[in-house]
Amino acid sequence: MALKPDRMNAMKRNRTPIGWVIALPVALALAACSGGEQKSPESSVVEGTVHVCSSCHGFNGRSISPTFPNLAGQQFEYIVEQLKAFRDHTRADPHAHTYMWGMAARLSDGTIDGVANYFSGQEPASATPGDPVLMAAGKKIFQEGIADPKRTVPACESCHGDKGQGAGTIPRLADQHPGYVEEQLHNFADMARTNEIMHFNSENMTLEEMREVAAYVGSL
Amino acid sequence: MGCVRVGAGLRHIIAVTGAAAALFLGIQSASALPLYARQTGQQCAACHNGFPELTPYGRLFKLNGYTFGGGQSDLPPLSVMLIPSYTHTEVGQNSPAEPSGAAKHYGPNNNFAIPQSGSLFYGGVISSDLGIGAFGQVTYNHLSRSFAWDNTDIRWAKSTQLGGETVFGLSLNNNPSLTDLWNSTPAWRYTPWVASGLAPAPPMPTMIESGFTQQVVGLNAYTMWNRLVYAEIGAYSTLTKGTDSALGVNPTPTSSIKGLAPYWRLAFQPQWGRSSFEIGTFGMAAMINPGRVTGFGTDHKTDIGFDTQYQFLTDQHSISAQASWITENQNLTSSQAQGLTTNSNNHLRSLNFKTTYYYDQTYGATLGYFRIDGSGDALVYASNRTFSPNTTGWIAELDYIPFNHGGPDIWPWLNMKIGLQYIAYVKYNGAYSNYDSSGRKASDNNTLFLFDWITF
Repeated sequence: MALKPDRMNAMKRNRTPIGWVIALPVALALAACSGGEQKSPESSVVEGTVHVCSSCHGFNGRSISPTFPNLAGQQFEYIVEQLKAFRDHTRADPHAHTYMWGMAARLSDGTIDGVANYFSGQEPASATPGDPVLMAAGKKIFQEGIADPKRTVPACESCHGDKGQGAGTIPRLADQHPGYVEEQLHNFADMARTNEIMHFNSENMTLEEMREVAAYVGSL
Repeated sequence: MGCVRVGAGLRHIIAVTGAAAALFLGIQSASALPLYARQTGQQCAACHNGFPELTPYGRLFKLNGYTFGGGQSDLPPLSVMLIPSYTHTEVGQNSPAEPSGAAKHYGPNNNFAIPQSGSLFYGGVISSDLGIGAFGQVTYNHLSRSFAWDNTDIRWAKSTQLGGETVFGLSLNNNPSLTDLWNSTPAWRYTPWVASGLAPAPPMPTMIESGFTQQVVGLNAYTMWNRLVYAEIGAYSTLTKGTDSALGVNPTPTSSIKGLAPYWRLAFQPQWGRSSFEIGTFGMAAMINPGRVTGFGTDHKTDIGFDTQYQFLTDQHSISAQASWITENQNLTSSQAQGLTTNSNNHLRSLNFKTTYYYDQTYGATLGYFRIDGSGDALVYASNRTFSPNTTGWIAELDYIPFNHGGPDIWPWLNMKIGLQYIAYVKYNGAYSNYDSSGRKASDNNTLFLFDWITF
């Protein structure tokens, strides 16, 4: 007899709509995902790849962490070249090894073109003004280079453009994360990232000068 | 009545799907899918800040159903984990023959366990087109010489646009909070991650911390909007005694959930620069038949937790901190009627905190703190002199992860964490000294633990 009230209570408690609590979001999820237009297999692959890229490079190629470069508005040819370099392991800096070798390993040329087309077509990230003193010093190096009897550092803008916009396989630097640019200059100087021209350009820069240039291009 | 039918139907679906999933895992384990590092072609450090803590990218990998690809390996989606260890406690334990004594096969102190445990993992993408992936684990406990299923999480996930990126997902799993993305909730929290099985360990007393681990099957639905807001709800049902036995879980001391036990989770995750922050709440409620005994009414436990996490990750320097606080209210109608508790209502609170520093994702140091406190009960805590569960302590750990950026050429997917850990108890089972009426002090349980966590 003692069980009876308890069973009744249990039945009442079972009326709490736990089933609906689960079923409703499941139904919403299925409904949300079932619609949409048909996509070609290639565009679906590109879309899926861009989704994975955005895990680190952010929505629309505008990343949050300076560990990962902004890709929005980057030069199409540069993205293609870099993805192929990751795929072929010819770009082998530490981050390439940690993240990008795996990411690019199975990308076809068509998917690489599609991904590059997507990111190059996105509106660039906002400029991030930094320390005015750093930016002023960086602007001078960016526009004039360093003319020193013992070393030569050419002006960055001679290749990357006066607004850091890049051209073809020469990357856009404008609005890039200063932390990322600084790290790449280290990589070029140390030959961790192989590029003869950039090694020549960066090997005579001090760490402070790298920081200054990075601060300036981030503000463009 | 409609609601009752839906509830019963769901329980049936969960039970059947769980059984099917277990069978599926057994059958499909030889399919040619690589495990996570091989599947993605990435180093462990991409997803882990000193494993198993997840980086922001690791969280998205899990959120999206373990389906991200990239790697070129065609090896089976299996991995092995081995943990050899050495344990020293400040004062040895009683002989194995005595109650609460040392483990069978081992001495009272200074024990090598080679290995302490070994696990076989099945994981990775099952269907990238459908967005289905899995994490599955079977563990051999060398201390008890027994096999059992371990954490299992089979997911479906789909991304769409609803005013921002919105990921929807479903998870079939066997451990409340196993689905979570942050390392501040019970399943993936540092308590520590690897603890000695041959020393008194920090207790995890609340239901959501350990009450139904691997004794339930749950179906959870989750969503994350704009990588900012995460919400999840689920319902758990206990397995039958027969299923428990078949999966290696000793059913004798287990309790059963009456009906379905709801689980909920809400988290907010702002990110800026190299920093990510999370603050959230989680909880679970269950009507429980203690010892699976019916006829005495049910206990009703409600756990409500709050958690937070902060990570600052750079290539060389990484800092993370996690904290959780759980309060559990226990209505013990059945337990009291069965003579298992003195009180009709008890409460428990559990506080955990840890912070970790890693250099180059290779050298790490962790400091943790734990505190359990709750109402005293002369029957629940009968072996404690004060009848109190209160336990407090600190954990310090040094780690060396030589292969976090890739293993040796012969097997690049080898990873290894060599750790030296010390747990210092300030209070144990309700007292600083003589907590067991036999003169044992809390500090007698202080544990030095050396381990090698090997995965390949």
